[in-house]
Amino acid sequence: MPIHRAIEPGAAWTELVVTDADWDAASAELLTAMLSQLVLIRTFEEFVLDLAAKGLIHGPAHSSIGQEGGAVGSCISLTSRDTVNGSHRGHHQFLAKVLTHLHPDGIDPAKPVPEDVREALLRTLREICGLARGFSRGRGGSMHLRWDEAGAIGTNAIVGGGVPLAAGSAWAHKHAGTDAVAVSYFGDGAMNIGSVLETFNLAAAWSLPLCFFVENNQYAVSTHIAEVTAETRLSGRGPGFGIRSWKVDGMDPLAVHLVLQEALEHLRAGRGPVLVEAEVYRYFHQNGPFPGSAFRYRTKEEERQWRQRDPLDTVARHLVRRGILAQEDIAGCIQQAKELMAELGEVILEPKPDGKPNEKRIKPQEWPDAGIVDEGVRGDLSELAELPFTDLGDHAGELVESSFIGAIAGVLARRMETDPRVVVMGEDVHRLNGGTNGATRGLSERFPERVLGTPISENAFAGLGGGLAMDGRFRPIVEFMYADFMWVAADQLFNQIGKARHMFGGTGTVPLVLRSKVAMGTGYGSQHSMDPAGIFATAPGWRIVAPSTPYDYIGLMNTALACDDPVVVLEHVDLYQSRGPTIADDYDHYLPVGKAAVRRRGSAITVITYLAMTQYVLAAVEDVGIDAEVIDLRWLDRASLDWDTIAASVQKCNTVLIAEQGTQGTSYGGWLADEIQRRLFDWLDAPIERVTGGEASPSISKVLERAAFAGTEEVAAKLRQMAEV
Amino acid sequence: MPEILRMPEVAANTTEAVVSSWNVSLNTPYAAGETIVTVETEKAAVDIEAEAEGTLLRLLAEEGQTVAVGSPIAVWGHPDENQDAVDALVAALDLPAGSTVGGDAGNESPAEVAAAGAAHDGAGTASSGHGGRIFASPIARKLAAEAGLDLAAVVGTGPNHSIRRRDVEAALAVSRAAGASDSGPDTGASPPPARQETGPVAVRADFEDVPLSRMRQAIARRLVDSKHSAPHFYLRATVRVDRLLDVRRELGGDAGAAVTINDLIVRAVAVAHSRVPGLNVRWNGDSVRQYRHADIAIAVATEHGLVTPVVCGVDTMSIGQLARRTRELIQRAHNRRLRQEELEGGSITVTNLGMFGIEEFAAIINPPHAAILAVGAASQQPHVVDGELQVATIMRLCLSVDHRPVDGATAAEWMRELTGILEHPVRILA
Repeated sequence: MPIHRAIEPGAAWTELVVTDADWDAASAELLTAMLSQLVLIRTFEEFVLDLAAKGLIHGPAHSSIGQEGGAVGSCISLTSRDTVNGSHRGHHQFLAKVLTHLHPDGIDPAKPVPEDVREALLRTLREICGLARGFSRGRGGSMHLRWDEAGAIGTNAIVGGGVPLAAGSAWAHKHAGTDAVAVSYFGDGAMNIGSVLETFNLAAAWSLPLCFFVENNQYAVSTHIAEVTAETRLSGRGPGFGIRSWKVDGMDPLAVHLVLQEALEHLRAGRGPVLVEAEVYRYFHQNGPFPGSAFRYRTKEEERQWRQRDPLDTVARHLVRRGILAQEDIAGCIQQAKELMAELGEVILEPKPDGKPNEKRIKPQEWPDAGIVDEGVRGDLSELAELPFTDLGDHAGELVESSFIGAIAGVLARRMETDPRVVVMGEDVHRLNGGTNGATRGLSERFPERVLGTPISENAFAGLGGGLAMDGRFRPIVEFMYADFMWVAADQLFNQIGKARHMFGGTGTVPLVLRSKVAMGTGYGSQHSMDPAGIFATAPGWRIVAPSTPYDYIGLMNTALACDDPVVVLEHVDLYQSRGPTIADDYDHYLPVGKAAVRRRGSAITVITYLAMTQYVLAAVEDVGIDAEVIDLRWLDRASLDWDTIAASVQKCNTVLIAEQGTQGTSYGGWLADEIQRRLFDWLDAPIERVTGGEASPSISKVLERAAFAGTEEVAAKLRQMAEV
Repeated sequence: MPEILRMPEVAANTTEAVVSSWNVSLNTPYAAGETIVTVETEKAAVDIEAEAEGTLLRLLAEEGQTVAVGSPIAVWGHPDENQDAVDALVAALDLPAGSTVGGDAGNESPAEVAAAGAAHDGAGTASSGHGGRIFASPIARKLAAEAGLDLAAVVGTGPNHSIRRRDVEAALAVSRAAGASDSGPDTGASPPPARQETGPVAVRADFEDVPLSRMRQAIARRLVDSKHSAPHFYLRATVRVDRLLDVRRELGGDAGAAVTINDLIVRAVAVAHSRVPGLNVRWNGDSVRQYRHADIAIAVATEHGLVTPVVCGVDTMSIGQLARRTRELIQRAHNRRLRQEELEGGSITVTNLGMFGIEEFAAIINPPHAAILAVGAASQQPHVVDGELQVATIMRLCLSVDHRPVDGATAAEWMRELTGILEHPVRILA
């Protein structure tokens, strides 16, 4: 008979329960501050639901009415240096953080609402209504509330999507030498999604000051928690990752506050992340002004029972019980808040012309100018204005032959040496003498704090890098061992990192560099051989560089690191062992954004290519003996494309071939062909031709793999065909 | 009843000609005697005039298209002619594929390709012709629009006979060559500015391949043929021309035509021909043709290329008549107004590069001539006469001779006569 020994988790898991004694011990200032926040948030959200009922909110209004206890109880202890983010249901957390930021010592419920609170509520209301003077110029709305100054770093409409970003914020707090913490709020519905679980692990592994705060309101839209998980005690997830975890009644703001006191002590002491599960209840459905029972996934009785534990009533009751406030004071506080919201409504609303009695509309002058629709997708590059841009021919220094992989390691080392903000992370980047290809050789020995070997969890560490970039104190370089892993981290790359700047008003910065390896030809098969350029080119926010020489790698990496936008640096394994001229001992030169390289002058056909395909195109041109002009794009994204060079060449040659190696479906050249035919139609003498790989991803078999992507032979065949017509 | 307009035989023994330009528009009435179409042979452009008033109802040949003599190029008739009748007439023609084709092998022109394409399509016009959609690349459309070129007049060589840039450029080259005489010095400038506007196209290339004009093709073919088939030998002579220059001065203002030194040389050649008829011949392949009169071609360099109009009966002309006739031919050569018959005949060409200061050169015989006389510049040089040094005006001549009809001795005798005449110019007037 085998023996079974009980195993205890390494991290504690406890429930905190308060008694009246705790309520008696709480300071009057704390309780009145809680009351003020609860009243303001509750009244604000009721007003929002009223607007939604009148059709004045475009899109969903996810109210948190009923859940305010968790938000107020947790935020009220945070400083302005601490950061919070949250989910689509985030009005309460955002406002609690903002109100605490504006009045860390509490708002007196007996006094008129302070002017700065009025302004913040108006600005929040405007954002939720999608108006020009909202925090994000109306772009974010209800689900994307951000006010960096207050430490509210952005709520998120992807379930769990904000959690890795909060880890980036926490990493920055820690490595900037502060004791600030990050709190990431999410719901029970996010507890089973990969990015959250990955971030549990990563934050614990790296001992980050991050509070995972799960508001367990039992329903993911209409699906009950018991239907989707066997362990409904969600704080039980924490110990499995080595995370100190608490369960608490989220309807009780004081209980939450007391848990946070313990949690913050743990966090600020540098003992790693914490998990707080607050049991809460939303009185209304997922969104809109109707209760969940109206949609029949729960009963009115259940709602009635939860309402009896209302956090606002609870705090009010104790205040009256302790004689701190009279019932009339509380009624007056609520009345004052309602009048304030009505007044704020008057600021943005007016009677609808020819409408029914009392029918309102948004004042026309409140709407944003539709002309800003694409403004701020990327930055204006003003951060690069002072950089000394040079190209290979501009240097007086000695030219030496360098290997491509050496150029990568060299420029990374140089930047880490001169810029303490640069952080390198990825799988195995700290081992194997510079990662799997030697690109980070020597870095971990010199900069152990800033060279981070990650767990195999692209969503978490890409998102952590994104959060780090948005924080602004560091400049992360994230490595993906294979480009195909972008699908694994797609939410972080495209929904979060790529969109963040624009979505939050178009003014923030996201200085992240993603090194992404293209490995077709190495026999790694269908899931490791893609060229991601075509996908990144469809994603707003990203810039794309594709260096084809060691010199270009250094210059483009330096510019990418100086740029405040996310930049993906494509690296092709075919190039790693190639050699080319660089400037002796110079890793400090910059290539300008949006400048292609004409690798061969010609007048017969314009061939547009990039990355490793450049060398194959040049070989094909010599092979065929055609006078083609070969343009190596260097910068591939829509905003950074060198249209001057392309236009001059097309106007000269009139015939265009776009050549790339990867598969048809995710290929890059489609949008470029589309753009060229529109911009340069009158200069074309033939349809724009393209060379790509096949439809299928490259296989493992060497023969099938070679047949799947394009190289010299495919380009040569196409050039011959074009020359014959 | 609609009627067929056919390609006329604009010159003896021509088998084909190019429709250079349609000078009246479709369905636009014209008067009798009005120029309907200009057709071009290798050396001349000929205006075809309407025999009677009427209207062009259907074009069967594009501008730039090569058409065999006798082949239909248009249907004409009354403006209100029944379209069915026109269709029936065209259908009845059953245009054979070869009817408009006849160029040299390997020298296929875009027009010929189009003609072949039209035949494949079973229609009377090229696929890119009137009525249907014209397939042309965007840059071809742009260039044509800038040059004011109607794409219907351009024949495509791209896929599906679509018009590519090269086709427009070829058409423009042809129309520039053909249009220069019509437009005069001013209008000739309109296409070039358009070319400049296209900037990168013309300017950025390190060179430009200019498509061959018909004239350039003809010059190339004929002179290669001459060098291949006519065994050349060369006789050189030096002539003292002080007295010839005196004569020219004396003739100066006479007869309303300034007499040039070249006129005197041409006249001297005619006299030499009468004294040594053995050079006034041409090689026929199976016979040698002996001419009775001195028909002498003069080489004229024009901006379009070299042409050699023939002055007939120089032996019967006064020097004044000769000068006037020569001047007129040269003028029309520059204006591309020479008629085909003015370019035919003769046994010798006189070519003179003296005005460029060329001392001496050897020329290629202009077939079917037996000889060509290359005349250098007259210049003052030291000259010894009877052991005494003098200053004399000297001119060098080089006679290229086809050895097939003429032997060296005959040519030498002719050359001796010529130098004698030039040094004793009173004989020119004999």
